[in-house]
Amino acid sequence: MKYLTQSNGKTVFTGGKSSFAEAAYTAENCPSFSEDCEDELFCDDAVSCYNCRYRRWNAVGFECVKRCLNE
Amino acid sequence: MNLFVCIDDTDNFDSIGTGELLENMMGEAAVRGLAKAGFTVRYQLFIHEDIPYTSHNSSMCCTAETEDLSAFTVFCEKYLEENSADGSDPGLCILTDSPSLDYSALISFGKRAQNEVLTKDDAYKTAAEFGSGLHLSEHGGTGGGIIGALAGAALRAGREEGRIKGKLQPLPNKTDWTLSSFAAVYGVERFTDENGSEITDDLPLKFVHPTKLLYSCGRITSVIIKENGTYMPKPKIKKNKEKNQ
Repeated sequence: MKYLTQSNGKTVFTGGKSSFAEAAYTAENCPSFSEDCEDELFCDDAVSCYNCRYRRWNAVGFECVKRCLNE
Repeated sequence: MNLFVCIDDTDNFDSIGTGELLENMMGEAAVRGLAKAGFTVRYQLFIHEDIPYTSHNSSMCCTAETEDLSAFTVFCEKYLEENSADGSDPGLCILTDSPSLDYSALISFGKRAQNEVLTKDDAYKTAAEFGSGLHLSEHGGTGGGIIGALAGAALRAGREEGRIKGKLQPLPNKTDWTLSSFAAVYGVERFTDENGSEITDDLPLKFVHPTKLLYSCGRITSVIIKENGTYMPKPKIKKNKEKNQ
């Protein structure tokens, strides 16, 4: 999970909101990926952290509430 | 009686979303003969670390018609209490839709909720100042969902722009679309280009990718793009990536 890191006790994505390849790569290698509801899908990749129900958007990107880094 | 119905903070990471819960609630209300719902609009509210949203802090609001406001309100309250997700903080707002009401203070609250952190006290104060014609209630947890519920209803009352829940799928056997035929089939009331300029010509249209509609200027709106000389409804997904791995 090279694009996820720990910050202030949270697992955050290092690619902001426009690193689509990195978000797809991360989700493809994550056992916790689960697609969010249709109205909240963000990009056109079937599997992407940007489309995952466990991503929590923040001002600069998102945190992963499944804390994939430790799995 | 016409209404705006908005709920917020009803979900957790493993439950159905608030939009789906709203549609389920309104479907059940229709089955019981309590209300008929219109379409649902999603409003993006402020993303900030001090706001306890689940994942995206959006608010969902639909219109409704009822002949028994009291019974409908009781039904919604009970439905939220029985069906909201564990750990959520549900709020309900039912706002009367009437041309005789002045929504300006509510709209101001809704716009603030899109740009700053607000409190339950802010919501209750705004609701109290509006007076009758507005129901605002908490249904579990901290009840913080009243902030988004009031904001969503207010933004809808103000005809503010939001995304309409759901998407349109192309029809596999129809290829000869024009803007007017597209409008007739899907109930679209307005077309714009990506800059928001209204399109009034009855252009030929290629509809091959799923698309989403906007609620904009108080009307159901389809955004039309031009790609390689062909007009088409803007594809649903707005972000594309370039594979670099």
